[in-house]
Amino acid sequence: MIRVADDGPVRVITLARAEKRNALTPEMLAEVTRVVKEAPASTRVIVLAGEGSVFCAGFDLALCAAHPDGSVMRALLSGLSALIISLRDFPGCVVVAAQGGAIAGGCAMLGGADVVVTDRGAKFGYPVLRIGVSPAVSAPFLGVGAGFGPARARMLDTGLIDAERARAVGLVHEVVDGPGGVLARAMEVAKGLAEKPPTAIATTKGWLNEIEDGLRGVTPERGLAVSMGLTGGDEEREGLMRAVRR
Amino acid sequence: MSDLAKVEVSGRIARLVINRPEIRNALSVELLEALHARVDELVRREDVSVLLVTGEGKAFCAGMDLKHVIDDPAPEAPARLLLSLAELTLKLRDLPMVTCAIVNGAAIGGGCGLVCVCDLAVTHESSKMGFPEVDLGVCPAVVAPWLVRKIGAGRARRVLLSGGLMSGREAYEIGIVDAVVGEPEALAGAGVEMARRLAEGGPAALRATKHLLNELDGSLEGGVVRRGAELSARVIGLEETRARLREKFGASPGNRP
Repeated sequence: MIRVADDGPVRVITLARAEKRNALTPEMLAEVTRVVKEAPASTRVIVLAGEGSVFCAGFDLALCAAHPDGSVMRALLSGLSALIISLRDFPGCVVVAAQGGAIAGGCAMLGGADVVVTDRGAKFGYPVLRIGVSPAVSAPFLGVGAGFGPARARMLDTGLIDAERARAVGLVHEVVDGPGGVLARAMEVAKGLAEKPPTAIATTKGWLNEIEDGLRGVTPERGLAVSMGLTGGDEEREGLMRAVRR
Repeated sequence: MSDLAKVEVSGRIARLVINRPEIRNALSVELLEALHARVDELVRREDVSVLLVTGEGKAFCAGMDLKHVIDDPAPEAPARLLLSLAELTLKLRDLPMVTCAIVNGAAIGGGCGLVCVCDLAVTHESSKMGFPEVDLGVCPAVVAPWLVRKIGAGRARRVLLSGGLMSGREAYEIGIVDAVVGEPEALAGAGVEMARRLAEGGPAALRATKHLLNELDGSLEGGVVRRGAELSARVIGLEETRARLREKFGASPGNRP
C-alpha cells in the first residue's frame, strides 16, 4: 500500500491507497518508517506523497473498529509516533506533498516535515475528539511547529482549517492553485534542497530539532502515552462504531 | 574602534548605528567589539526607553565577515567571531529598553539574526533579507534560536533549510519584520513614527513587559545560543566548508553571507 521510487538524490514515498483516501494501517506506517530509515546514503531529500485526491485522511477507522480491544489503534498510534521521529531524524530535508489536505493522523505526519506544499482547496485538522480519540500524540510537534495557541485550537476544535490558515500558522509553507500542481511543486522544492551542501543541511536540521526539543515542554513519548491511555475504552469504541456506520 | 558603532540619544529615544558602510556593515571581530561596548553603555541608560538599531549606508548588515575568518590562519578565529556574535545577541535581547530594527537595506545571515533579536522590526519592500548560510555550507546555528522565537519553529525550519534571500515584503509576510513601507525613502519617517509610538508606553511598564517576554520565551537562557556558536564554528572549521567559502567569495570583499 506504499510505493517507493528513487529519483537521483530524492526518495519519493507514496501512500498508495487512493480508494480509502490513503487511510493508514499499521503496516503502511511501519513500511514508510522502514523505507525512511533504509534510504540509501545518497538520498538527500525525502518526498512524502499520497495518491489520489487527498494526501491522507488519517487512520483506517474501519480496521480499528474491527478490533474492539484497541490493538489496531495502539499499533497505529505508536507507528505514527515512530514515523514522525524517523522523519525528523532523517539527516536530509523532508518535503510533504499534501494535495487535498491532511486530516487527523495525516495531519500529525506533517510534524515530521520540513516543507509542506498544498493547494488552495485543501483542509487540515484533527476531528478525532469526536470519536473519543485524543490527538495528544501529535501535540508535542504541533505545539512547537505552529505555536501553542494555534495548536490548542486545532487539537480541541474538531473543525478543519483551510490551506491559507494552515500557512498562516506555519503548518504548511506553500500553497499552489490546484491539487494537480502539488506534487510537481514539491518535487521542484525537493530538487532545490537536494543540491544544498549536505553537512550544512544535516547540522542545521539537527540543531533545529534540538532547539525544538528544548521548547517542547513534553516529550513525544508523553504525547503518545496520553493518546494510548484512552485506547480500548468505551468512549472510543462507541465513537469508532458511529464513524464506521456513517 | 568606537566609530564602528555609534549611539545617538534624543529624549527617550536612542539610535544604535552599525557604521561600517564600506563593506556593507559586515560583522568583524572589531565591529562586534564596538557593538558590545555601545550596548554595555546602553544597559545603564535608564533615561532611554526605545532603541532603534540601523545600518549606515545602503545595507543594514551583510552578515558575518567570513572572508576575514577564512583568511585568518588561527584555527579559533571562527569560534571567536561566532561567540562574540552570540554574546552580543544575548546582551541586545536583555537590554531594558524596547528595541526596534530599522532595516534600511540588506540584512543577511547574522545581520538578519540581529533583526530577529530586536523586539520589533521595520523595513521597506525591496530590502534583501534572509539566511543563505546553508547555500554556503555554513550552519546558521547562532541565529536559529532567535528566528524560532520570532516566527515559530514550523516556519523557521523552512527558512533556514531552504537558504536564499527574500524581499522586505516577503519578510513581512513571514513575520521576520513587523511593518513594511513601500519606498526606501519612507523608512526613516516610519522609524520615527514607530519610535514615537513605542515611547508613549510607560517606561517601567515597558521594561517589565519586555523582561517577562524574555523570560517566557527562554531568551535569557544563554546556553542554547552559545552552543549554537560552537556548532556553527565547528562546521566552518571543516575543510569542505572552508574550500566552499574560498571558492564562493574568495577575493571579493563586500559580498558576504
